[in-house]
Amino acid sequence: MSPLIARRSITVALSAALVISLLAISGITYQLITRRGPTQHQMISLEKQEDWQAFGGTWQYADGVMSNISDERGAKLMTGREYWANYSVEADVLLLGQYGDAGLIIRASDEEKGVDAYHGYMAGLRDLDNTLMMGRADYGWREYAAKSVSPRVSAQQWYHLKFLAFDCDFAVSATAQNGQTTTIAIRDPGCIKSGRFGLKSYNTGAQWRNVEIAPATQRDLTSMIGEIQPQLAVPNELPTGSEPAPHDRYLEPIERDIQAHSSGVNAKSIGSLRLLSPDVPSSATVQGVVTLTSPMLYIQDSTGGLAVSSSHPHAPLQIGDEAEVRGDVYLHDFSSEIRNADIHLLWSHTPVSPVAVTASQAATGAFDGQYVEVQGRLAEKNEDGNGTGMLTLEDESQSFLAVVNGLGRSPNLNSLKVKSKLRLRGICVTDSRYTHDLTAFALLLPSSGDIEVLEGPPWWSPDHIIELVICIFLLPFAGMTGFFFVERWRMQAVLDERQRLAHEMHDTLAQSFAGLGFQLQAVRDDLTDGIDIMPQLEQAQDMVRNSHEEARRSISALRPEHLESVGLLSALEECARRMVSTNSSVKIKTASSGNLQNIPLRVSDTLLRIGQEAIANAIRHAHCSQLTIALDYEKSAVEMIVEDDGVGFAVSSDSAGFGIRGMHKRAENITAQFRIDSAPGQGTAVRVLAPLPPSFLRTQSHRWLTRLQLRKIHGKRNRV
Amino acid sequence: MRRRNSRKIRRILLCQLSIVFVSFFLLAALSSVGCKRTSSTVAVIPRTCGTALWEPEHAGAAAEARAVGLNLYWNAPMRDDDMQTQISLVEKSVDRGMAGIIVSPIQTLPMRTPIRRVLTRGVPVVVIDTELGIPSGPKLSYVLNDEQVGGQIAARRIGLILQGRGKIAIVGIGPELKGNIVRERSFETTLSHEFPEIHVVARRLGLESVPQEQHSAEELLAGSEPLDAIVALSLASTRGTYYALAESAKVGLIKLVGFDQDLLPPIRDGGIDSVVVQNTFEMGRIAMELMNREIHGAAGSSEVKVEPVLMTRENVDSAEIRRILNLSWWSPQ
Repeated sequence: MSPLIARRSITVALSAALVISLLAISGITYQLITRRGPTQHQMISLEKQEDWQAFGGTWQYADGVMSNISDERGAKLMTGREYWANYSVEADVLLLGQYGDAGLIIRASDEEKGVDAYHGYMAGLRDLDNTLMMGRADYGWREYAAKSVSPRVSAQQWYHLKFLAFDCDFAVSATAQNGQTTTIAIRDPGCIKSGRFGLKSYNTGAQWRNVEIAPATQRDLTSMIGEIQPQLAVPNELPTGSEPAPHDRYLEPIERDIQAHSSGVNAKSIGSLRLLSPDVPSSATVQGVVTLTSPMLYIQDSTGGLAVSSSHPHAPLQIGDEAEVRGDVYLHDFSSEIRNADIHLLWSHTPVSPVAVTASQAATGAFDGQYVEVQGRLAEKNEDGNGTGMLTLEDESQSFLAVVNGLGRSPNLNSLKVKSKLRLRGICVTDSRYTHDLTAFALLLPSSGDIEVLEGPPWWSPDHIIELVICIFLLPFAGMTGFFFVERWRMQAVLDERQRLAHEMHDTLAQSFAGLGFQLQAVRDDLTDGIDIMPQLEQAQDMVRNSHEEARRSISALRPEHLESVGLLSALEECARRMVSTNSSVKIKTASSGNLQNIPLRVSDTLLRIGQEAIANAIRHAHCSQLTIALDYEKSAVEMIVEDDGVGFAVSSDSAGFGIRGMHKRAENITAQFRIDSAPGQGTAVRVLAPLPPSFLRTQSHRWLTRLQLRKIHGKRNRV
Repeated sequence: MRRRNSRKIRRILLCQLSIVFVSFFLLAALSSVGCKRTSSTVAVIPRTCGTALWEPEHAGAAAEARAVGLNLYWNAPMRDDDMQTQISLVEKSVDRGMAGIIVSPIQTLPMRTPIRRVLTRGVPVVVIDTELGIPSGPKLSYVLNDEQVGGQIAARRIGLILQGRGKIAIVGIGPELKGNIVRERSFETTLSHEFPEIHVVARRLGLESVPQEQHSAEELLAGSEPLDAIVALSLASTRGTYYALAESAKVGLIKLVGFDQDLLPPIRDGGIDSVVVQNTFEMGRIAMELMNREIHGAAGSSEVKVEPVLMTRENVDSAEIRRILNLSWWSPQ
């Protein structure tokens, strides 16, 4: 094997080893990342809403408690990192209503809005069958275990829930307020390895507090479940509520449900309350769906909506609950209200959809107390110290206000821009407590999620117009500046070329013409003196012939395709042989070492010029017997050496004539190192070390760059 | 020779470099496609998820998808009256490049335009449980619950338990869903032809929720007209009527024949006489089978009807009913 191939093989082997090492390091890093969970035990901030992502539900934070006040099936609030693997989450959980469940999700990914629209594990408390349950969701639910809890799971009771994942083992425990703990342990052989965590409720509102997360180990798992092996995950095959046995387990809650929600059939419609006498105090019973719980309770039926205030204790209501309200009716100018209300929860899970109205329609008061959807452009945005935001909106001839809780805590709302077009869903109220008698109506928004940005502010704002004007002024200036620089670079290139040509002409034609002038002067002098002028004439003729040849050579040298076709070393050899043709005693030797490489045209052309000058100097002035021209190809450079065994000279800065300075200047133009080694009687060596661009760039770009330059040259020539 | 070798090595290195780059871009492209789900994924969008009525469709569709090598995306609105979310899911499924869509529209009319748009984009659709009015074709198939048969089954059950004589009420009439209209017409036609001594003395439109249906049934029961039986044409009206009967202590005194599977204990207990259950498992399976043919361009115009079954106290634990109520979407059937 040749040294060259051996060297290349080593390079390839090293490159391969490097790539493999990088892949291995990446793999190990990935493994480390994916195997690790959260770095330390920490309390999770529920207040920073920007850290959480909601998928359904109506989420509110107050006093360290995160609440979902809707009873949507499968509302989720997620946070954490998708690469968290072994960790535990614990929290206090409270079910706000009945016939649903609430708990914690771990190792979740690909979450969407939907009942079981995520991949991950969920564990929680369910009051329908009084169980602590745990299962897996893959856009469909597989329940692995449901264990009875004692004392019975009931709404408005706090339980401490802990959910741990280690490898493919999962443990969940629920601790009641009396300290009794129920635990489930499951092994899911084809488990989901990592994912985020979150809060989830189904069919009921719920609350969470003291949410903590910690990395989990085998020891943590053992401390939860002891030394017993977790049972293998086998999903139940029938849905909750439809399982045939045991019978009373499911029938009993249904019967409780029926009894709990029996309603009076003498309820009035909300709209009919307007027909009551405003002068006679009256009481009434109405039924409706809860559309707002804060800052005021609002209910709505198909005929209208009203505000309800109660001093009696009642079950906490959630948006979507159907409630029966009995109390004193107060009629205001444009709205109704029931005070001292006795509120009876009838049923959950009946959220109403908003009615889409224009601001003008809402301003008539016909939709007072009702859940509506209105569009408008944001005119102003304010916030009080309690985090309640007040938005002023405009739509055609109407202005209206929107009151929303948690304005400052929501990143979406913080980014609301004035003049944006918004769609808002909320309770339309004409109550002067909210309108301040400034607008016809106000909207009370259940949550910040009820604001949707339809389009941003119009582009033609004063700021943008000013920026545009500045740009219009700056653009011509920038163009002129650019043009100026380009022109300057072009002029510099022209001047450089002229200087190069001046050097060329000095080295060749000017010297020849000067010599010719001297000969003609001598001829004239000899004619006057009657001396034989034939020798001078012959010499002059020689000089003319030489000059012609020099000019032809120069023209030839200006044509880069010549250099391209014969190669640099051959061109230099040809040049030298042409010069020494009348002096056959000078031996010319050429040599090339290293790996032959393509040299950029600009570099090879410059080397040729320098080489020609050095050869001319050696032949004319050094009286040498041997001239050596060598090219040494290195990895990233090429060195040209023109060496003779002539008389030499003492190298100093003073000794540099126009020719040497010209060579030096040319070398500088290609950032090459130029050096002359010489001493009297010891010959002269001219060395030029020119750097080369990286080989892969050179090989790919060389041809088309060359072609491009040749095309330009041919184009110019054709035009000439 | 040396020059030729160096060129050869350089060429090899360039080739290797190119392979690395091409592999990288291919991997990147594949991973991005993977995020959006591959084109072998079929979206199945029922009216809602996690209920006894619709989870069997999941099981049936998943079983068939496994058999034919398709992937399945299963999601639906959280409420079975959330039409807007269902339309949004259909549109998103097209944007995600799903190979096809199987949908059970919540309402007939609002789904027409979205489905037409899906079809114009060349995505095959199988509609379950209701006709949209768009004729079936190479890219559109229907798998319908045979409402005609369902109505007949309910009418004959009423005739049987009332022994051909009595007064009944019909609740849960839903003009927004074509299947429900056919169901009601078939019931009334069969009843009038086969049991002329049974009279329909009250009719109530279907409402959005169980409590509303319960309230409606309470009013009906509080009315002056005595009833021998009530036929509830929807899941919500069946449950709401049962709750009203239980509340007014008339369970068993007034017979209840319902539609669509929901609660099993009252059937076992006799509180609900019987329920005409849809075989959503089979509907899901057939829908996926048709979708597979449509994806591979082998389907013609298709409209398949699946007969419902009467679930009573006597057959609630039978193999046939258990198969209909199967929820095991995760395991091979």
